[in-house]
Formats: sequence, C-alpha cells, structure tokens
Amino acid sequence: MLDALQNAFGNSGWPYAFLVYLAIGWAITRPTGPLFGRFMSMLGWPLEMAQRLAGSTGLPYLFLLPNMLIFGLFTFAPFFINMGFSVTEGQSINFESRDWAGADNLRRLLSETSIDTGMANQEDDKFLSAVASTFVFVIFQVPIMVFFALCTALALNRKIVGRGFWRSVFFYPVMLSPVVVGFLWTLILKRQGVLSLTLLDWGWIDEPVQWLTDPFWTMFWSIFVYTWAHLGFYMLILLAGLQAIPKDLYEAARMDGTSEFRMLRRITLPLLMPTMLVVFVLALIKAFQAFEELYAMNVRWTSLVAYIFETSGLRGQPTANGLGIAATASLLVALVLVVLSLIQIWLSGREARR
Amino acid sequence: MKSTLKLASLPIAALLAGTLSAQANDEISFLCYQDGTECDVIAQMLPAFTAATGHTVAMDIVGYDIIRDQLENQLQSGAAPDVARVTNLGGLNPYYLDLTPYVDTAFWEENYGATLAWMRAAGGTDQGIYGWPTQLTVTGPYVNVSMFEDAGVDMPGDGATWLDWADALTQVRDTLGLTAGLAMDRTAHRVAGPAFSFGAQFFDDAGQPIFVDDGFRSFAETFVEWHRTGLMPAEGWPAGSGTQYRNAAPLFLSGEVAMLMSGSWMINNFATNITDFDWRAVPAPCGPGGCGAMPGGAAIVAFNSTDKPEAAAAFIDFLAQTEQAASFASQTLNIPAHQGLQASGVDYGDASPEVSAALRVFAQNAVTAAQTTPQAYTFQGYAKNFVIYGVVPDYLTRAITGEMTLDEALAAMDADIAAQIAE
Repeated sequence: MLDALQNAFGNSGWPYAFLVYLAIGWAITRPTGPLFGRFMSMLGWPLEMAQRLAGSTGLPYLFLLPNMLIFGLFTFAPFFINMGFSVTEGQSINFESRDWAGADNLRRLLSETSIDTGMANQEDDKFLSAVASTFVFVIFQVPIMVFFALCTALALNRKIVGRGFWRSVFFYPVMLSPVVVGFLWTLILKRQGVLSLTLLDWGWIDEPVQWLTDPFWTMFWSIFVYTWAHLGFYMLILLAGLQAIPKDLYEAARMDGTSEFRMLRRITLPLLMPTMLVVFVLALIKAFQAFEELYAMNVRWTSLVAYIFETSGLRGQPTANGLGIAATASLLVALVLVVLSLIQIWLSGREARR
Repeated sequence: MKSTLKLASLPIAALLAGTLSAQANDEISFLCYQDGTECDVIAQMLPAFTAATGHTVAMDIVGYDIIRDQLENQLQSGAAPDVARVTNLGGLNPYYLDLTPYVDTAFWEENYGATLAWMRAAGGTDQGIYGWPTQLTVTGPYVNVSMFEDAGVDMPGDGATWLDWADALTQVRDTLGLTAGLAMDRTAHRVAGPAFSFGAQFFDDAGQPIFVDDGFRSFAETFVEWHRTGLMPAEGWPAGSGTQYRNAAPLFLSGEVAMLMSGSWMINNFATNITDFDWRAVPAPCGPGGCGAMPGGAAIVAFNSTDKPEAAAAFIDFLAQTEQAASFASQTLNIPAHQGLQASGVDYGDASPEVSAALRVFAQNAVTAAQTTPQAYTFQGYAKNFVIYGVVPDYLTRAITGEMTLDEALAAMDADIAAQIAE
C-alpha cells in the first residue's frame, strides 16, 4: 500500500503532508453526515477551530485582522509618527535623537515672535500665506471643476455620436501620472512654450507671457490644469449618478410636455444632489491636498502641502526644527480634512435618512 | 579529548577563514553624482582598486538632487551607502567615518590639509580625516564670446566690476534681442561671490553669521534691479519657489543668455556640449568689497554606519593618492584639491584652449578671493552654510516678484536664517 502511494506520488513530500493535514482534521472535527460534507470539514478544520475559539461573532474580526494589520501599519503608524514629530524637536528623523518639545512647534508655527531667537517669526507668515493661497485655489477650483464635470456628464449622458470615445477623452487625463501632467503643461506654458509662441504668431501678445511666474496667471493655470487633470474622475461619478435616475420620470414629464430645462431643474438636479454632494466634498478634500501637478509645474505660489514638504527638509537641507514644524502644520491640515470628511458623512447620512 | 577538540576546531577554523576571506573581498556601495564625467572616470579606476585591494565597489550614479535632498534622511534611517560623493561637507560631519586609523595621515595632511578642515566639526578641536576632496571648485562667470562679437560690444577686461559687466550685457541683450543677459543658478552659493564683491561680510569679527549688512543690501538692490530691467531672466530665480535649487546652465547652453554665473565644475560639461558658439571663463567681477568668488568642492566620504570601514577607507585612500588624483583632475578637467598637484601643475593633455584658459581663470579666482574676500573661505567652512543657501533664494525671489519689499525681504531673511541655524 505504502509502496503504491510512493509510486503514485513519486518522491515528493507534499502528498504525505496533505494526508497528515486531513488526518488531523478528522481527529479534531470528527465529521459526520454525507461524504462530501465530511471531506470539507476535514479540509477546513483550521477555520472550524477558529470559529470555535472566536465564536460566530468574533470570526469576521479574525478575517479582518490581516487587513487591519496592514492598514494599521501603513496608515496609522505614519500618523502616530507624525504626531511624535510634532511634539519633539531636532533635525533627526530618529526619535532617540529628538528632544521633547511639547507645544513649542505650534508656537514656532503660529507665534509672531520666534521662541528660539526672539526675533520676528517667519514661519507664521509662510504658513498663513500658504493657507491663504490654498483657500483661493480651493474656492475657485472646486466649484469650477464640479460645474464643468456636471456639464460634461450631462452632455455625455445623452445619445450623442461617439459617446464612448468622448467619455474616454475626458477620462484620459485621470490616468496620466501627475508628474506627466505637470511636465506636459510646463512645455505649453513656459516662456518659450507652445501657448506664448502661438499667441505671438497670431499677434495677440507682443512678448511671451510668464504664465507660471506671474502671480495671477500662475494661479489661473494651476486651477485650469488641476481641473483638466481631475475632471474626468468626478464626471464619471456624476455620470453614474445620472444613470441611476429612473427613466420613467423623464418619460412621464415628456408626456406632460415639460421642457428639457425644466426637467433638468426639477428632476435631474434634485435627484443628482446626493451624488453632487459626494463629488463636492471629495473634490474639496483633494483640492486641499493639491501638490504633485503643481510641484511638477513649478508654480509660483506655495500650497499647504508644498509648505509642509518644503519645511520638513524633504527638499534641501533639513533645519533644526523644520520637521517638527512641518508635522504640526500637517496635523492642522489633517484636522481641516477630518472636519470636511465628517460634514460629508453627516450630509450623506441625512440624505439617506430622508 | 584531543581529537574531539581538533574536530570541533575544524568548522571554527573554516568559519574564521571564511570571515577573513570575506573581509579581504568586501563589496562597498558608492553613491556618486556627477556634473560632467566624474563618476565615469572613477568607474574606470575601479578595476585597479580591486586589483590592488581585492575589494569591489558597487557604484550607483544618481542626480545631484538625490545627494542634496535625500542622503541625510538615508543616513538618519540607517539606509545610507558606505561611501558617497557629497557637497555639504561640514553639515554631514556627524555621519562621517574618521579615516585616520586607516590612512597615512602625514600624506593626507601634507596634500589635502587646506580642505580637510571643511569636513570637520565646528569648534576647531576636530582633527579627523573624513574624505577625499575630489576637486577644488570656484564660482565665476562664463561668457558667450560669439554673442559679444555679434553684438559688437567690447568685453570688460580684468578688474571689471559687476556694474561694468551689467552694462555690457545689457547692450548685448538689446542688440541681439536675447531673453536676458545674465543667468545665475538659484542658490545663495552663486550669489555669495557677487555679494562679497559688493562688500557683504557674512560674518562679524567674532565669527558669528551676520547675513544682511550694507554690502549685502547693496548687492540685493542691484540683483532685484537686474531682474526688473530684464538683465536676468524670469526663468531663473523668479521661476523657483522656496529653497528650490535651479540650474541656469541650460539657458547658457541654449544661447538664451550671454553670461552664466556658475563655477569651475562646469568646464568639462561646456567643453563637451558647447559646439555652436565660442565661450570663455572670465575673472570674477569686482566691486567695492573685492573680487568675490566662492571656493568649495565635492568630497568622497565614508559614513560611520558602514560595516566595512576598512574597505571604504581603502577605497577613499586609493582615490586620494597622487596618481589617481592627477588622473581624475586631468580627465574631469578640474582643479585638484591635492596641494602637491596644485604646485606641480596637472597635465590636462589635449585640453582645448578654452578649457586650459578656463582652468587658469578659476584657479586665479580662488587666489584673488582668498586675498580680497577671505570671508568666502570662512563661509565655505561654516557647517550650516547649506541652510543659508536655501533661505536666501526664498526671500530674494519674493523681493524680485514683488511679494515683499526688499526691506521686508532682507529683514525676514535675517530673522529666518537666525531661526534656522538656532540649535
């Protein structure tokens, strides 16, 4: 018998290990009932054991454990490390070389006078300037993008020629790397770039415009490029929302002779509002975090994330307290994002309860 | 019993032999950046190093940004290479491996004594030997000679001031319709030389940094004015933000400006890549404060986190020997930091007349700067100079773009530097 098995399995050891595994399963579970059911019990004995140990309510958490561990490692660990940086000071990224600072980094970030030198503090000006610039960006970029995403979704929800193609065209920038987007637009917008040269050729301007250096134009193009790069994603969400609106409502309205514009105002927009809300809050959070495209384009204003990136010493020379100040600033930004997320959850819940 | 001991000793002996042979043939990791062909030249020397010592080197050639922006974090997190080519000589001192136990200190002191101090800790008590200064660099301007000829403008001669050059460059720009006349890399390292010429001191008598004085203010006013009038391009300093470094060499290479304020490390690059116009390095322009130029250089250092200190030290010691140092200087067209070679001269082989002339000009810049603006050498040896390199462009740019008045920018610069260098 043993020889026959050995011949059947060759010299590989795993079939024996499998048989031992099944034998342990039989010994533990003592299966009864139909043959297939018994086999499955023997096969799944570790799960049955886990269920017996954890109980039926605890089992889902057991399944979630690997995911939670990985999620915790890559999400919560950096968050707590960041909190650690914000209450310690020093140039090193190793906690053993950092001294306790308490709220000193918050004072370094926001006070008028430097606690280290007694001179005028510059960090509060830089931070508040980044906050102000980011607010300007968010206030213009989010409504403009949501508006155009809505218009595009409405247009592409209609039966137009080449609808699939147009949907791809608008979604295409979303698939591009932010760095590619940045470099692509830099080629267009730099002093000797395509835009300036074209406008010069047409005689619309007399000399090349500093699109990325001029304070007005750098913000304008930041908003434009960021909208161009992200519009497709929000358009897709709105398109899904539009397609979820029951068609019979429109049919009934048409039978009553309702105009297209009135249908838009009375049916489409009200029923799309929950989706619009999600899109608006997501766009708001994303705009607060704007960085990659703007960094690659080398725009002349400093966003909040760029301020944190710069101050932390990730670019250039780490400074005595830069990492702690940057960590404190990032926690303040995180606080704003948490508030926005809570608003989204509350609004979504309110809509669902209706 | 004896036989048992013998038997037991066999594997131990084998293990020791293995360990010893491993020590004799260590592989060290080397992070290298190059302005021209420096890493390529070192790569050609590696077989000779391996033949001489048995050690091998795994070289990784990276962009300068990696060295400038990431190396210190790698050092702090224990993920650093064994050896690297760096420019923040004083700032990285806490991480250096002291090569003193592994090298002939008399040879090093005799040939590199003048530059070894740049890698030592502040205070004057540190006598360690931390790395091989690969070259002595000096800042100074390059001129597009063809443009001056085409414009029919005479080039200012030796001893000309920055204002003389600004006038001449403005004429060239206007005549040829150039984007701008003068470009400069966006870092305080490049403005330091001109600022010294305008009388900036950077340090008080006690050696404490005093960045903004009358000389620096005078330079800053002129610098902002040069941008306002279009003598300097909007693609240079104003296009950068924060502490960002921006290389202005592409503007010179593409023929958009007639002068580039850069340094001796670009000679090889220009000798290789400029084929459509004549270029020349000119003496550092002067001013009321002297004829300022910033000395400096890169060094190949080993880090104390290495687990192969002997191999790392052997590699650096091998490169520092006169034969290798001469070969490196000759092939990379650099001024050697090796004092013996400085005295005897380096045979640059079939270097073009432009290259030979440029090397002479930059060597003279270093001598003139030592005589007329000695604070340049103090600044180079200052351990936190890299912090200042970043802060200055941030505020000068804001003054250029009108985000701040110059007075506000200078006051903010002073306060911010004080905060950034405070322990």
